[in-house]
Amino acid sequence: MTFSLWYRIGLPVLVAVVLVAIWQFLSVAGVLNPVTFPSPFEIARAFGTLVTRGYFWDATWITLSETLFGFIIGASLGLVIGALTGTFRTFRTAFYPWVVAFQNTPRVALAPIFLTWFGFGITSKIVMAAVICFFPVVINTVAGIAGVDENAKTLFRTLGASKTQTFFRLTLPGASAVAFAGIKTALTLALLGAIVGEFVGASEGLGVLIKELNFQLEVAMGFAVVLFLAGIGLALYGLIELVEKRLITWARD
Amino acid sequence: MTAQKDSAGTGEDITLKGVSKTFATASGPLPVLRDIDLHIKAGEFVSFVGPSGCGKSTLLNIIAGLVRHDSGTVTVGGKPPREGRDDIGFMLQKSVLMPWLNVTKNVELPFVISRRRGPKTAGRIAELLALVGLSDYATLNAWELSGGMQQRVALARALALDPKVMLMDEPFSALDEFKREHLNIEVADMSDRFGQTTILVTHSISEAVLMSDRIIALGANPGRIVGDIAVDLPRPRNPDMVGSDPFQKISNEVRAALLGKVEAN
Ligand SMILES: Nc1ncnc2c1ncn2[C@@H]1O[C@H](COP(=O)(O)OP(=O)(O)OP(=O)(O)O)[C@@H](O)[C@H]1O
Ligand SMILES: [Mg+2]
Repeated sequence: MTFSLWYRIGLPVLVAVVLVAIWQFLSVAGVLNPVTFPSPFEIARAFGTLVTRGYFWDATWITLSETLFGFIIGASLGLVIGALTGTFRTFRTAFYPWVVAFQNTPRVALAPIFLTWFGFGITSKIVMAAVICFFPVVINTVAGIAGVDENAKTLFRTLGASKTQTFFRLTLPGASAVAFAGIKTALTLALLGAIVGEFVGASEGLGVLIKELNFQLEVAMGFAVVLFLAGIGLALYGLIELVEKRLITWARD
Repeated sequence: MTAQKDSAGTGEDITLKGVSKTFATASGPLPVLRDIDLHIKAGEFVSFVGPSGCGKSTLLNIIAGLVRHDSGTVTVGGKPPREGRDDIGFMLQKSVLMPWLNVTKNVELPFVISRRRGPKTAGRIAELLALVGLSDYATLNAWELSGGMQQRVALARALALDPKVMLMDEPFSALDEFKREHLNIEVADMSDRFGQTTILVTHSISEAVLMSDRIIALGANPGRIVGDIAVDLPRPRNPDMVGSDPFQKISNEVRAALLGKVEAN
């Protein structure tokens, strides 16, 4: 047990340490250009500087807000549309082909259009994040509903359950594990949507910061922001996994 | 003990007259049942046996009100079958417990759905769990139970509203031999004690003989009754009867009916 835990955490950490060590070595040895490819040590120092700057935390706050608002809007809409699509055949027939069609178009391509529609402020990024979030949630909710056990549906019929009762006591909990997998994907994608939105056109946010730092050839700081974003992504994922464990206690095999 | 038990000891008659059913399938109409005439007396334990696809489940589902028959009449306790009649309990091959509910909540489901949860419900659930031998497991999650225990929970749930008719579609077929025989005897005793009318669909002739008062053998294409065999073994039943001569004789009769032979050896 302890061995396998050490193994599962220790091994990836070891890999990271070795890679960073090699990187640092190549930088010190002069193989890597310090301007375009700063050493891990430089990046760490840049990060140390960044966290003392107000503009860094302002940007973080902006990007996080875009991500979370986009996620909440996109995932909620996805759940509602997914539930309607999974439950009502007419609705499914009318809309699902379009969901699938849009699912297969690169949605980030919409970012410039959203910029035109919603401007340089955070609205266009929220919309971008929401649109990206929406699809995995819809698709997983529909799949979750379709996967509800036929025998359980028969049981509910024999009990004389109404449509509402069946929905709330069988369909919803029955679909929740699969739907939640979509929600987890959506949260990761929301961050992506926000950053892409910022790249395309914005005045504030971590995406903007990365672009500006790159222009100023502050590559070490740029790297630091990227790593910080990776940390945010991980933290959000950890949080949503916690929520999942609290909500869906039965799906662990 | 509780108000719900007033009805114990009185099953209901089940009557089918000229019942036929044809399913519309992609490859055209599929006649599944033709002209089924059957009268089951209140309190009788009847098994349906027959080859796979002969229409046993369809017949049971018609009696449960899950499937509409095309012609003929069906009455359960004098009334046409309908989903959600609380005098009819239903059990499937799979236990279909809700994994998000614990054992108690699963058994409570029929009360919740029929909006009949009340101050007496908790007592009734405790009684049901005692009946199926799961009193110590009341707060466990459904997925923490073995297959046999899960099927016991399903049995308690089917019994929850104290039905007068129990309809069971191969409820024991997913269990191992030992658990199966154990539950066979328990369910046979229970239905004897409570006087319910019980219909059991099964592939196992010995299970049918061990539990039933009467065995209906069904033939296929389309499903029809090819044998109606009385099981006059004493009650309570016990597993030792399985090897006995009368048991073998009845089993052979059922087998012969299914094979379309006129006489058994
Ligand atoms: N809803 C349906 N639509 C079309 N065909 C059906 C439907 N339900 C059952 N059938 C067909 O009717 C026939 C009888 O099915 P049924 O399930 O009643 O058989 P069974 O005797 O219970 O078989 P088994 O022993 O395998 O459970 C089968 O050929 C089956 O494919
Ligand atoms: Mg069947």
